[in-house]
Amino acid sequence: MPRLEKIEYKPIPVRELLLEIKNLSELMIDLAYSAALFNDKELAEDVLELERRVDTLAYLLEMEILIAARDVEDAEELTGVSEVASAADKISDAAADIAAIVTQNIGVHPIVSEVFEKVEERLMRAKVNEGAILVGKHIGELDLAARMGVDIIAIRRNKDWIIDPKETEQIKIDDILIARGAPSGIKEFKELAEGRRLKLED
Amino acid sequence: MPQRHQKQFEEIVERFAELKDTSELMIDLAYSSLLLNRKELAEEVQKLEEYVDKLHTDFELLVLSSGFKKEEAKGFLGLIRLGVATERIADAAAEIAEVVLRGIEPHPILKLTIEEAEETVTYARVAENSPIINKTLREARIPEETGMWVLAIRRGDKCIRPKPDSKIEIGDILIASGYAAGEEDLKKLASP
Repeated sequence: MPRLEKIEYKPIPVRELLLEIKNLSELMIDLAYSAALFNDKELAEDVLELERRVDTLAYLLEMEILIAARDVEDAEELTGVSEVASAADKISDAAADIAAIVTQNIGVHPIVSEVFEKVEERLMRAKVNEGAILVGKHIGELDLAARMGVDIIAIRRNKDWIIDPKETEQIKIDDILIARGAPSGIKEFKELAEGRRLKLED
Repeated sequence: MPQRHQKQFEEIVERFAELKDTSELMIDLAYSSLLLNRKELAEEVQKLEEYVDKLHTDFELLVLSSGFKKEEAKGFLGLIRLGVATERIADAAAEIAEVVLRGIEPHPILKLTIEEAEETVTYARVAENSPIINKTLREARIPEETGMWVLAIRRGDKCIRPKPDSKIEIGDILIASGYAAGEEDLKKLASP
């Protein structure tokens, strides 16, 4: 069992917490289905890690709400915020359950992925190695969508997650990039990130 | 794999794909109903929730009656669990919509981003003479032409999650959000 993080109050605006919980839970759904349908263990592990992060954020949000409510009006307004956060937390729990199908070696029948391969874009994670031509480049200048039909939808940098990174975001060594696209483009992209392919083709 | 088996499989996967699409549509609509404080979108989510329950039961029955072999049991257990989690996601979306339906005074925080606060929701029916009939959403270029973003497509009693290759049909009702200025343009495009 993973060690549970001790929750200590940190002053973070409620809005920021709620937005992060929402964004993370939505990213987790995409990651989890891709992990389960294409039996991708690494993606599944990412989902489980994100779930712990969402849990921590949910605690912090709860604290902020408790501090902020001073009267009946506050309480009425903040109940909505608390309900939405708890629903987003449930979404992240459900995503973790989907990821657990993979990490517990149950797996989904392979014929399902055969069908989904045809209709659905898939997600893939790739670690940026030293020497990869992506290092130091801005996402915008790579023009991945036009070149290979790939979008970078998130970056994991150390313990942080950058969701929907901006065009000006610079790719660094050891970044974990989560990308979405057609199978061929995704494969090419992984090779680029890992430094096994050294040229960006037009 | 015997033909009968193959067909059953396709049906199971199809049903699951619909379950997944619908639950994701519900999340999109639920957050939109919250951001824009629109009850009719929240009601759409509640309706879809009932539909998902039915889909989920159909899906489970199909999986259980598929006559899988012993060595396939794990893969089918995985499918069942995938269905359960998907249904839970739909439930969570319905809870978000409930906040709107209960008329809880929306906290400014729930608008989440300032820009979206000015947006409106509009419904546009696609008439027989519309230039976008039989076009995919990608081809129809609705956001570029009107500034409106299609949240969902209502077709008969179904509600479809818009994807770039979704085809627009006569009689579709496009549920879209955007600045009020685009409303007129969208209606003109849908029924000139």
